[in-house]
Amino acid sequence: MAAPRIGNVLCRISNCNFTSVLLEKINNSRSWTCLQQIRHRQAFPPAAWYVKQKTTDLDENLTKENEEFLDDVMKDVYKKRLDRVFSPLEDGPWKRNDYNKYTRRTGVLAIKIGVVPQWTKEGKRFTTTMLQIIDNHVIRYTPPEKFMKSAGWKPWWGNKYGVAVVGALSTNPRIYTKEYNNLFMESGVPPKKKLTRFLITENAAVQPGTPLNVMHYRVGDVVDCSAKTIDHGFQGVVKRWGMKGMPKSHGVTKTHRRMGTTAGGKFKGGIWKGKKMPGLMGNRWRTARGLKIWRVNTKYNVLYVTGQNVPGNTHGFVRVMDTKLPLRKPAPENPPPMPTWYPEDATEPIEEEYFDKDLFQFTEESVKFAAEKK
Amino acid sequence: MASYSRRILPCFWKTTKLLTFEDAARRVPCRYHQELLPTRNYLLPETVEEHRKSELSKHPELPPSITSENVPADFRFVYPEFLPDPQYDRRDSIRERLEREDMYRRRAVIDIPEFYVGSIMAVTVSDQYSPNKENRFVGICIDRGGVGLRAFFILRNVVDGQGIEIMYEMYNPTLLSIQVLKLEKRVDDKLYYLRDAPQEHSTFPFDMDPIPVPKGSTVPVNKMKVQLNPRPWLERWERQDLQGVEDLKLEQRFYDKAAKVAKPWEKYDLMKWYRENTNEDERDSIMQEVHQRKRLTDIEKSKRKTKLVERKR
Repeated sequence: MAAPRIGNVLCRISNCNFTSVLLEKINNSRSWTCLQQIRHRQAFPPAAWYVKQKTTDLDENLTKENEEFLDDVMKDVYKKRLDRVFSPLEDGPWKRNDYNKYTRRTGVLAIKIGVVPQWTKEGKRFTTTMLQIIDNHVIRYTPPEKFMKSAGWKPWWGNKYGVAVVGALSTNPRIYTKEYNNLFMESGVPPKKKLTRFLITENAAVQPGTPLNVMHYRVGDVVDCSAKTIDHGFQGVVKRWGMKGMPKSHGVTKTHRRMGTTAGGKFKGGIWKGKKMPGLMGNRWRTARGLKIWRVNTKYNVLYVTGQNVPGNTHGFVRVMDTKLPLRKPAPENPPPMPTWYPEDATEPIEEEYFDKDLFQFTEESVKFAAEKK
Repeated sequence: MASYSRRILPCFWKTTKLLTFEDAARRVPCRYHQELLPTRNYLLPETVEEHRKSELSKHPELPPSITSENVPADFRFVYPEFLPDPQYDRRDSIRERLEREDMYRRRAVIDIPEFYVGSIMAVTVSDQYSPNKENRFVGICIDRGGVGLRAFFILRNVVDGQGIEIMYEMYNPTLLSIQVLKLEKRVDDKLYYLRDAPQEHSTFPFDMDPIPVPKGSTVPVNKMKVQLNPRPWLERWERQDLQGVEDLKLEQRFYDKAAKVAKPWEKYDLMKWYRENTNEDERDSIMQEVHQRKRLTDIEKSKRKTKLVERKR
């Protein structure tokens, strides 16, 4: 009788993982049988600007005391830079320009914490997504002329935009490669777990090393949130495209969740490009536009943003930027902090929470409707 | 068609044949694979917590955890909506903290009393379409659930021969008052079977007087058994383990089918129970916080009352 051995194997043919069963002693020959394929996205060679993040030669033979010593040294080095004050020995703080209707400011790299209901002052319920801004710093600013010559520039941007690279979540540099750590030398911040870039106009140039926090946005501002959607993996046509499938009974044979017919066209035979078929679903960049900021918590750096449709799982990274929707952009009469908010901008003590004027605050009395005047 | 030279490229894995550019482009070296194709596109909750405590950046001072309160044993049944959603992937300590803060603030304004499924309650809600802009409803609580600000309860009553159920959100600002007319528990967690019971079991007069319960006494349990109407029913009550229902008097085939479909092993399933409930330590620490805030809120309210009384004099 066959004695099956089950294991995980990296298939040499299709470069994918699958559970396989090696059946021995069947007709005195061996054969591999595929039970299940777990299809992943294809990994394309990385872009020209890509820098490998994680190191492979991490020294794991250090004693515990030595590791702790290294951690202490690292914390010492960065502690001094926590309260960064632009010293006169450096090139000094950059000039702060005014906001105009063509300005594009930096965005912020937030983490989606969850979804919570809120109520308006009229008693109407709506859902809000909470986005927390942990440990954001500007890593690098590239002016438009330099950006045009670099990898990662697209010709339709012209010479309008420079680039601000923003990073979130400071980490121990030991686990990262030398090239990756060198990216942070200019700004002097600890290396970040996640980096992203924002296209900004020249008048919104931010100095590397500037911390970004929730005060970059004000209550009532409208933002766009882009993130990678939930990864559903390889999905069939019913879940992926919402096709109806076929009945479960009444004589239907072996066809319940299939696509059905693939093509049909007199003037063009064959299957059309873009035909909806099973495939990998999710894990794509999507942007939710026009989300209003209802509430800001300055202590924990949390934004409450309309809707429950900010893409991605809980604890996923979200790029938050000023809207590009023309009627909801910040008006030049009421300009947002340029290029970002600095502590010296605060004219009055910062409150722990800011609420939109239409938002019901739980410290208020219950919502009551006024009697009609006769 | 223009010809192109076929470049021979270094191969990252052992093969006997030489690769072209197209072959190499399709496969990516192992050292990049893990980074370019991460297993998940979100962070684990533990990673986020580590970064919130890391010494590489400034963090807000969290209020100290409370251990000094004398919390009664059944406190968590009085305030079940404060316990976090057991689904681990959706949990976040900061979101839960901020949500609880909102709930404390609301409870300082309005009195949300202790109630259970089976208690008879009167709820007044702001209603812009009613003549005096208010709407009062009395009914028996047949269900209670939700976590955090989504906490809800459902009241059932029969008005002019029509059974009516209303779901109220506990933290909705249009809720003006919640009054428990009769505090008691029933033998079941949910009383949806009242829909298939005679209407007398769901009827409660709107002008019912509140029955006071002495403070500190245990909550009375109403062990009454309801006789259901004859079939057809809205649900297959014989398949649910209902304690508050009299003998259903069905044919044996129904009980046989129910036994076939039943999952008697579920009560022994430790992992299922573990996933549906919160960790005991976490539960205790949250209840400590709730107890402290309740105590402080009660003190505030009594101060306000004494001020009012003094003014009246």
